[in-house]
Amino acid sequence: MKTEPKSVIYFLWNYYEPLVELFEDQDREGFIKSDMIKAVCEKQRHDIEQKLVDYKVLKKINNDYEFRSIFYSFLEFILNEFKPLLPETIEKYHYSIGELFRKIRKGLHDEKFIIIQRVSDLISETRDFTESVENNSIKLLAKTRELKANLEKIDYREKIHKASEWIEYYILPMNKILDVHQNNSIASKLFEIANFANEKRLLVSDEQIRVQFEKLYFFLLSTNDELLRQSKILTNELLPLIERIRTESIILSGFIELLKDPFDVTPPPLLKASRDLVYNKHMMLNTKEFWEQFEVAEKVYINPPPVVSNPWIFDKDAYRTKLNAKLPVDNFFKWAYDTLEEEDQFVPTERFFSLTTLLFEDDLTLEFPDKNSPIKVRTEEMTYRVPKIKVDKYGIF
Amino acid sequence: MEYSKYHKNIVQNLLDGKFLLRTEPEFLELKEKEEFYVGFFKASFDYDLKVSSEYAYLISQETTEMLSRDVCIFFALMCYEMDRDGKNFIDELNYSEFEMEAVENYFRNSAYIDLIHANKQLKDKDSRRNFINMLNRRNIIEKKSEEKFVFTPAYKVFIDFARDLARRKMEEQQV
Repeated sequence: MKTEPKSVIYFLWNYYEPLVELFEDQDREGFIKSDMIKAVCEKQRHDIEQKLVDYKVLKKINNDYEFRSIFYSFLEFILNEFKPLLPETIEKYHYSIGELFRKIRKGLHDEKFIIIQRVSDLISETRDFTESVENNSIKLLAKTRELKANLEKIDYREKIHKASEWIEYYILPMNKILDVHQNNSIASKLFEIANFANEKRLLVSDEQIRVQFEKLYFFLLSTNDELLRQSKILTNELLPLIERIRTESIILSGFIELLKDPFDVTPPPLLKASRDLVYNKHMMLNTKEFWEQFEVAEKVYINPPPVVSNPWIFDKDAYRTKLNAKLPVDNFFKWAYDTLEEEDQFVPTERFFSLTTLLFEDDLTLEFPDKNSPIKVRTEEMTYRVPKIKVDKYGIF
Repeated sequence: MEYSKYHKNIVQNLLDGKFLLRTEPEFLELKEKEEFYVGFFKASFDYDLKVSSEYAYLISQETTEMLSRDVCIFFALMCYEMDRDGKNFIDELNYSEFEMEAVENYFRNSAYIDLIHANKQLKDKDSRRNFINMLNRRNIIEKKSEEKFVFTPAYKVFIDFARDLARRKMEEQQV
């Protein structure tokens, strides 16, 4: 179905938030679960599932979905949420750019339109390559700064691990790609193409082709500047920052090991201060230092041992037996208070109320002899005014 | 054999447990005659002389383990708190001037406050002042005034210790 471009734009505008949610879902899981779409529809109170497919925003894969690459790239771009590409993925441009350049060089006598098209494709491929490099630098720098700030409270060992991984798999290979002095790097290839384009923009007889080479030349000049800038970011900013994170994390993780149990570790040896003559000017301080050797510091546990408490459990049967033995009881609350006080000098409210539940037993009769003169009971937490209740056995015994 | 004018100071300072620093003429003299002094301290006292490009110090078989442990704890707490404070602690140790009040704040608000209270040399403000004076006597820090100090390159002994400890622990875990 051919859809109106405006409708697609309007749809994106209208459902921007749910689309971002779906984007984040795919970013996390690699695909969008069908349940996620349902949840989004429910939230919106509108079934957008079909429209997402009709407008070709999502592609169905079995029962799940994924964004079509054009929309995924668009969202990546507007959210500035680029996933760093592995340098081996970026390496593909080495082949495509190299192949186009080879054909341009060999096919200078081919049809005019094909030469122009090849040069135009070369510009387009180079632009894609530069954007990938730039996106990678932005993302790696952002991730490295996040790691430095450690907002996610990552363990120091995990930090060392991450920093090492990024250096090995992203930064060093990226550096190789951007190194103009390496013969097989993409940067050196672009440098070579720029020289070639510079020559051809002056020598080729056809004006249209000349203009196209001129365009390529100036485009590559700015591209090479940009790549140099990216290379500088990698070597001057990113690599030292990430190296520092790795070094600092190693040192901190060592210190944290020490702080866990300082007596479990042998510290670096230092000289034991020699005995000094009493007239030495450092005598007092050195003596102090000497005696401090023999002070035995207590072992410290950072995590306090759990407080062992003996929880009170309401044993209803036991208290019912106690109550039955005392029946008839003239003042139930006083009995309850006295019983608890006998067990423990403090009477918490919780225990007091637990005993009150005995009043609801079927085999007891309750009488309220004097409703207008309540008595006071003081529990650990507060004072209560409770009525006087007379309790006796139910029936004739 | 003729001894240089710095000989007495070199021997006395090192035997006092001090670090000799690159900035001192004694260090340059020692560095020049490193082989002699390594032999001298071994033969005379059975002490090992450690010389790096930035500092020199003596170690003995019988060591002041408690003091060394406390110095390590002091560095561990400082580095941990500086990192929590968002600072690059290696840069700070290398180039910054520390105010006693700022150090006090680190210790007062430390997550390891129980450990600090249990440590006789670090437990309170007065103990910490004495401890910092001891670091000054040993040339691990250099006091710029009563309230300010900088770390000397001797701090690297304790940083290297932490690095080695972390690596050992990681290797143990991998095994």
